[in-house]
Amino acid sequence: MRSDSSLFSNRWLPILLVTPLMLLIVLFFYVPVFQAFYWSFFLEQPFGGSSEFVGLDNFRRVLSDPEFWKAGARTIVFMLSASSLAVALPLILAIAADRKIRLSLPARNVLVWPKGVAGASIGVVFAFIFNPFVGLMAPLNQMFPGIWAPGIDGTDAFLTLVMAHVWSGIPFNFVILLAGLRSIPHTMYQAAAMDGAGPWRRILDVQLPLIMPQLFLTLVLEFTESITSAFALIDTITGGGPGGSTTLLVYKIYVDGFRGYDLSGASTQTAILMVFVLALAACQFAFIGRRINYER
Amino acid sequence: MIENARSINIAAGLILAIGMIYIIGPLYLTLSTASQSFEDMLRNGLAWYPGDQLLVNMGKIFTETRIPIQMFNSLIVASSNAFATCVLSLLSAYAIVYFRIRWAGVIFALILATIMLPLDIRVITTYQVASNIFSPLNAVLDVTGLNLLIASAFGAPVHLELSVLNTHFGLVAPLVAHGTGTFLFRQFFLTLPKDLFKAARMDGAGPIRFLFDILLPLSRASFAALFVLTFLSGWTQYLWPLVGASTPDMQTAVVGLARLVPDADGQVPDFPMIMAGAVLVSLVPLSMIALLQRYLVQGLVLSEK
Repeated sequence: MRSDSSLFSNRWLPILLVTPLMLLIVLFFYVPVFQAFYWSFFLEQPFGGSSEFVGLDNFRRVLSDPEFWKAGARTIVFMLSASSLAVALPLILAIAADRKIRLSLPARNVLVWPKGVAGASIGVVFAFIFNPFVGLMAPLNQMFPGIWAPGIDGTDAFLTLVMAHVWSGIPFNFVILLAGLRSIPHTMYQAAAMDGAGPWRRILDVQLPLIMPQLFLTLVLEFTESITSAFALIDTITGGGPGGSTTLLVYKIYVDGFRGYDLSGASTQTAILMVFVLALAACQFAFIGRRINYER
Repeated sequence: MIENARSINIAAGLILAIGMIYIIGPLYLTLSTASQSFEDMLRNGLAWYPGDQLLVNMGKIFTETRIPIQMFNSLIVASSNAFATCVLSLLSAYAIVYFRIRWAGVIFALILATIMLPLDIRVITTYQVASNIFSPLNAVLDVTGLNLLIASAFGAPVHLELSVLNTHFGLVAPLVAHGTGTFLFRQFFLTLPKDLFKAARMDGAGPIRFLFDILLPLSRASFAALFVLTFLSGWTQYLWPLVGASTPDMQTAVVGLARLVPDADGQVPDFPMIMAGAVLVSLVPLSMIALLQRYLVQGLVLSEK
């Protein structure tokens, strides 16, 4: 900690300095979070007006709705499949780009590009590329009719979502993992080489264990990211269909709240999703975080 | 180190080549399709070679859609998000690190907690708050009974209403309510030597002077990194601008682009024009990445530490 002599002791200035940001955070973060929980205990009228305390009725209604459980299960399937791919792929690319070969410099540049393409933009593009009539799969569809039909087959639509999500998730995870790899001291490799470990072996025994902190961090962030950022992709690629097969919870909340005007139901689902996200992060820190050695 | 690493280098090269194709492929197909005419696309499907209709399709975007004004909106939203985040985060990190305040830890935890629950999750109630930003104040007055007091004294309770929906401020403010910037600047301040502060005090620098003459010049790189990061995040937002702006002239370019695709299934939409729109909408952030890549990478790395 800093000793007191190395700090200013003004009384009102620091309050003045944090007030603008705190005001925005209270207004647009804490009030909405609180209100989601508050409304989940009330029956709200869509256009203002009265609200009525209903206890746990909203939760009973939401939890007995099979659509909620289906959307929840899809969210978890998407979270596990999309985010493990969105970490594994950048990990392989980062290990490759860490080697001193000719392609590694251009790759480091190109792999960051998706950061500048909005999820919704790449959604529009992927919707076109995987369009069954004019897209990439169109020739295949002419030979084997119906082999690729994201408009009818839920699995095809889901796969398109995962591919688009992995595409836009590459830059962040790649940069973080590459930074982790580059901070491994060179002497580690030399020591391993002296012990007879070849380059392939060193990936498993030196590089992977030493970038565990970065790997863990990207996984934690990716879980939350895959739950929320899927919205832009769903809205532009599948619209939740076909037959609701790509309606994840974040999309269902939007549809219920903004199209169905079911504020109480949407708030209750928001509250449940928030608790889930927070619990997920807490679990990861408690169980995985503890086993990782952060010492270098 | 001299050893035979041929097999792994070949494998690494192959992997990187595949990775780059995966990234560039969709971007290339976007560009090549954007340069076809609608009829050509209907006849031949996906275009592997660029055609000569790029300017025609872009012209259609400029004359037939609202994308130009929406790109202006995106520019305002992205740059004011970046500027406001940088300034406000710098100020709050400065207060947390350099002042003797007892509640510094609490404030920092409150700011940092915002990272856990992204805007997309809490969009329903954020929308309600934005539709009347005085609603929390009204609620507090009601609950504490102050409004009864006011009503008995002045004849009517206080009930203020101000909607920030469909304004640039409303599009930006919820994006700024985020803790990454404060976190980034705090980490940076903690790496600075303490003697810097002591020397400045010795020379008689007060808090304001220390901030402007010493801290600000030193933070230039962090400032640039955070600016690039928040600019890109502001430009690529989708859900909030979708609900926060209701008229086409207030929407951002990304939302406008998604609206170009007709909702109804059945006929094939004018994909070449839509792809030309995708090219235009991604042009600003992509050229920013190309020019300021160093800062972007730095920002991504700093924001995780």
